[in-house]
Amino acid sequence: MRRTTITAAIATTALLLTACGGGGGGSEETTSPEAGDSETSAEETSAAPEGEEEETVAVRGDEDLVIWTDDVKLDAVTAAAEAFGEANGISVGVQAIVNTRTDFITANEAGNGPDVLVGAHDWIGQLVANGAIDPLQLGADALGGYAERAVSAVTYNGQLYGIPYGVESLVLYCNTAYAPDTYATLDDAIAAGQAAKDAGQVDSALNVAQGVDGDPYNMQPLYTSAGGYLFGLTADGTPDPADLGVGTPEGQAAAAKLAELGSAGSGVLSTAISGDNAIALFADGRAGCLISGPWALGDVTTGLGEDGFTVQPIPGFAGMGPAVPFMGAQAFYVASNGANKSFAQAFVTGTTGGALNSEDTMQILFDNANLPPAMTSVREAAAAADPLVGVFGDAADQAQPMPAIPAMDQVWTPLGQAYAAIIGGADPAGTMTTAGETISAAIASS
Amino acid sequence: MTQILTPTPQRRKDASPRRRHPLAIDARSSGGLVAKIVSLGLVLALAVALTPTLVATANWAFLIMLWAVVAVVVAVYLTGRIVPAKYLLPGVLMLVLFLIYPIILTFQLSTTNYGDGTRSSKEAAVARIVGTSAVQVPDGAVYSLVVGTQGAITTGPFEMLLVDTATEQAYVGSEEEGLTELPADTVTVDAGQITAAEGYTILTRQEQNDLSGAGQPLDGFAVPVNDDTVIKAQGFQAIEMRTPLIYDEAADTITNVDTGVVYTAERAPSGDRSYFVDDAGQRLATQSWSENVGTFNFERIFSDQRITGPFLSILGWTLVFAVGSVGSTFALGLLLAVTLNDTRMRGQRAFRSFLIMPYAIPGFISLMVWAGFWNRDYGLVNDMLGTGIDWFGDATWAKVAVLLTNLWMGFPYMFLICTGALQSIPSDLKEAASIDGATGFGQFRRIVFPLLLVSTAPLLVSSFAFNFNNFNAIQLLTKGGPFSPDNPTAGGTDILISYTYRLAFGSGGSQIGFASAVSVLLFVLTGVLAAIQFRGTRKLEEMN
Amino acid sequence: MTSAPTPTAATVATTAVVKPSPRGRRRPPKGAPADRLTGARWWRTLSWRYLVGVVACIYAVIPILYIVSASLNPIGSVASTDLIPTVVSFANFEQLWNNPSRPFFRWALNTVVVALVVVVVQLIFSCFAAYAFSRFRFRGRRAGLLSLLLILMFPQILVTVALFQMFSIVGEVLPAFGLDTLPGYILIMLGGSLGQVYLIKGFFDTVPIELDEAAKIDGASHLQVFFRILLPLLQSILVISGLLVFVGVIGEFLLASIFLRSTDVKTIAVGMQGVLAADQSNNLGWFAAGSVVIAVPIILLFQYLQRYIVGGITAGAVKG
Repeated sequence: MRRTTITAAIATTALLLTACGGGGGGSEETTSPEAGDSETSAEETSAAPEGEEEETVAVRGDEDLVIWTDDVKLDAVTAAAEAFGEANGISVGVQAIVNTRTDFITANEAGNGPDVLVGAHDWIGQLVANGAIDPLQLGADALGGYAERAVSAVTYNGQLYGIPYGVESLVLYCNTAYAPDTYATLDDAIAAGQAAKDAGQVDSALNVAQGVDGDPYNMQPLYTSAGGYLFGLTADGTPDPADLGVGTPEGQAAAAKLAELGSAGSGVLSTAISGDNAIALFADGRAGCLISGPWALGDVTTGLGEDGFTVQPIPGFAGMGPAVPFMGAQAFYVASNGANKSFAQAFVTGTTGGALNSEDTMQILFDNANLPPAMTSVREAAAAADPLVGVFGDAADQAQPMPAIPAMDQVWTPLGQAYAAIIGGADPAGTMTTAGETISAAIASS
Repeated sequence: MTQILTPTPQRRKDASPRRRHPLAIDARSSGGLVAKIVSLGLVLALAVALTPTLVATANWAFLIMLWAVVAVVVAVYLTGRIVPAKYLLPGVLMLVLFLIYPIILTFQLSTTNYGDGTRSSKEAAVARIVGTSAVQVPDGAVYSLVVGTQGAITTGPFEMLLVDTATEQAYVGSEEEGLTELPADTVTVDAGQITAAEGYTILTRQEQNDLSGAGQPLDGFAVPVNDDTVIKAQGFQAIEMRTPLIYDEAADTITNVDTGVVYTAERAPSGDRSYFVDDAGQRLATQSWSENVGTFNFERIFSDQRITGPFLSILGWTLVFAVGSVGSTFALGLLLAVTLNDTRMRGQRAFRSFLIMPYAIPGFISLMVWAGFWNRDYGLVNDMLGTGIDWFGDATWAKVAVLLTNLWMGFPYMFLICTGALQSIPSDLKEAASIDGATGFGQFRRIVFPLLLVSTAPLLVSSFAFNFNNFNAIQLLTKGGPFSPDNPTAGGTDILISYTYRLAFGSGGSQIGFASAVSVLLFVLTGVLAAIQFRGTRKLEEMN
Repeated sequence: MTSAPTPTAATVATTAVVKPSPRGRRRPPKGAPADRLTGARWWRTLSWRYLVGVVACIYAVIPILYIVSASLNPIGSVASTDLIPTVVSFANFEQLWNNPSRPFFRWALNTVVVALVVVVVQLIFSCFAAYAFSRFRFRGRRAGLLSLLLILMFPQILVTVALFQMFSIVGEVLPAFGLDTLPGYILIMLGGSLGQVYLIKGFFDTVPIELDEAAKIDGASHLQVFFRILLPLLQSILVISGLLVFVGVIGEFLLASIFLRSTDVKTIAVGMQGVLAADQSNNLGWFAAGSVVIAVPIILLFQYLQRYIVGGITAGAVKG
């Protein structure tokens, strides 16, 4: 009959879609064990050999161990996961997720998430509030091999939630053409950069990425050196949301120091320097110094050459306190709703067979991520080969783990905007007081 | 319910200018019938094939929906009575399943407190709070673990076959009977792990893993040891653990047996969720649970000062942004279309090629590039204009920048439309106007422009609606900023949807229930606005 | 739901009735007025048109030039790029091929697959519905049209949570259509498969109903009228709406970022954005190179189809 076309169209569409499933799908970054190369029993490894059979239609979670991370860490995590998969005769899948943290929470709740998550330690607060990750039980001796601050970063409410593999914090890069020394105070570094700026050689003495909305992360070393703090610490050393330092006299005094560097003062700090251009401008030779992290190293080396720059932990202002940037630990977490908990726990807490908690795996992660290792023995070896790793590691050891408490979420936007306003010439004391009140109100009403 | 007005066949055949088409086709051939039967059969077969799975997984809503779809499809295509429905059904089905149904779900969400910390049921939240407080017993034993069963390897019952890593003593642990020593002669231990045990089938690691996922038999499997400690699996090890927290269901309290502190559920200041707190108001955990909050979210929109204040100003800017975007792109597009719409011009095609280029660049790319252009010191715009405007740092300039960017992105589209519309205006109309003495601009204003407006009006309305919710333009350019230190939730260029998005998925903790309520309001608003405009358009059409 | 607004049919494609093949693009006949304009008169009537045209073209092209320049810059950030590249390097383009964790061309292929399916299905379904709305008179027709428009305006990002929950369940039952699959993502995109109804209905309205009636007298069924008479006339409108859908699908990012996670199933938008979001400063050059590679075929496609978009409408009458 003539009316069949529509139905035919539906059916065709359905078929077409299914066909795409086979063609367009596929399973990402999947490694299937090569038969017979592992010590595990033969019946386990009789699973799908490598190749593109029909059963590899893209369905998330097909693998025996599914790990989520972001694009930056994808290569490193994949390398480590593959080693584990090979050693244990299982298939692993590593996926780079754009909004890793929020998508993980949503997916985990829906029972559609991964088995293991890789991300920064300051996610822990939100993850725990959502019951999205499981605490791990590792004896004190098992954790002794890690940098102390890295372990405290992944400890939350007295429980260990992740295994750290890398640490990072801000450091001071200087262009040797304009600021060749290692500086004892930040003022010296700024002075060197300023001289170059005055001579018209560079556009900026010191790049601190702020942008029009400010950036408390990048401002933290300056703010702390000038005497400010975000949260006081409780007796057991964890941040105390009840003790907010933003609007306090200390915070106001620090803000006054920052204002001196803003547009009303020396003009070193500028909202035109943002996360989009701070590194690029420095790598382009258009800034004397730069405050940034290990992630800038690649670009800076490309732009200035191996010998074109120096790296050192950020010094404090002359006559003021030490600069204490935030320390971030990158860590592996076990999802609370994963489908493969045994393998996930074995991978994250295990010490043998390609598992994470071992020097071999940490070495693989370091080789692929180039992030200062959290495991001290691996870091020492790496620092011996590449002194920069040691510098980055030392800087991280002097830094304070970024607070993972939920109250921290209320800090970013108001404080950032306050910094931007102060750089722009607003009254530092009044602006900081307003920001402090906004943050306190938000914390109290949540 | 549908009534078809059959057109009256009053015309003769030769009225058709295209008579040559082969109308004597034998479409009622058997091939068509077979295709119809096969297609309907496929739909039916799919439904039948899915039913057992749906029943097994208790997805009743899905099951009902599936068969409802089948019933509608069969009714429409087998009865042959409702002709328009046959044409509408495929698209409408898609619309209902993937747009309307989710919208209804969103409406439902708007009456809950769903969001960060409130994603699970209270029962699950309590279990998590108590469960995550468990810690390894100091100096407690650690065992190597394999799972064995005396029953089937997929259903159990399962028991833990353990070897103490310190003493190398083998045990069997069951959930009911706790820990029992296994005589050395009944087990084979290899490399610290049990590889065989009398009476037990030992699961491979793969099999154990498959049973360890959330909701599987081994998830939460705990072997009681003492009064307050249990042995739990961690990978292929087992650890003796103890939790200091005990939940009293009758009293709805959690007690810490070590400190004696009693935690009771109490409403938080936010008003939509509760936490377990001690007498001093100190929270036991940051985890809360989902609740039905009725109209609380809607009340909050209208009563909370921190919401109402920005809401109105955001709504105002949203309207300005939408109207401004449509107006500016239309004006520029029209100007260019009129300018270039002269057959005497050479290279028209080349001009058009260049002018539509911005439209051919995927929007997200254009926006990210433009975001860099607006930088005060290093951006292209200040560079070329020789100005030093802090575009994104000042709320007013940021608005201007957003509008200008949107102009660049949108004018080629309006240019295309206007060119098409101009060319479809019959030249005799213009000539007639010329005879009447109208020339140049007058002719354009009186004849061309009204005609053009009629044919483009519906389009301007949908363009308005698109920009009203143009999330990408705001998010990728300014992320809603600049913000002021006293109001971190609403930025200077926030339109309603970017504001809602921040509430729903922002870093300050997702408030999806509340964001859904705002979405519902937004939906109603867009609808009302569009309906009003359509009435206007209709009047315009009627006038002509 | 396609987010791109769509032109109404009345504005385009009204001429196919008379001139079904848009290939016959008219050139001005010899001795057309253009040739006869000289000197002062040319200056007065045409020069400003060229001026406006050139200025507008510069405005349109400069940002694009910038992207090209950034793609050739080995450091490749917008901040360190000038309009005219100082260093020309194809390293960024090589990176598109060489990096297995960022399979650019795989993403492009996925995008094309999604876009093609969505374009085809959306056009078919929209045509059907537009035909019904234009040619049949049934109760609820106007209300249906209006509510369709309102529903299509509902921004799909607001229902992401609901969609996510829904497809979690779909995935359990029909794994091929679950989360993180292209077919599932296509299904979501097909929620907007009536998106082109307005455009196409407007077109149908311009085709005289006498045409259908004559055919019906000849014994044609309504389906035959649709396929044999109306569809061939639709050519240019199909091209335009197809293009609009295509551009919309390629730019869609929000839903894709939530639903597509595996490297191998990502679309261009979500893949590229992921790379950039992860490390903006290191990846801008790569991003710019990718942008150029995407934009070039689309621009070529626009150029190729230009005659359908504009040229196919040079003659004929608008209704009313």
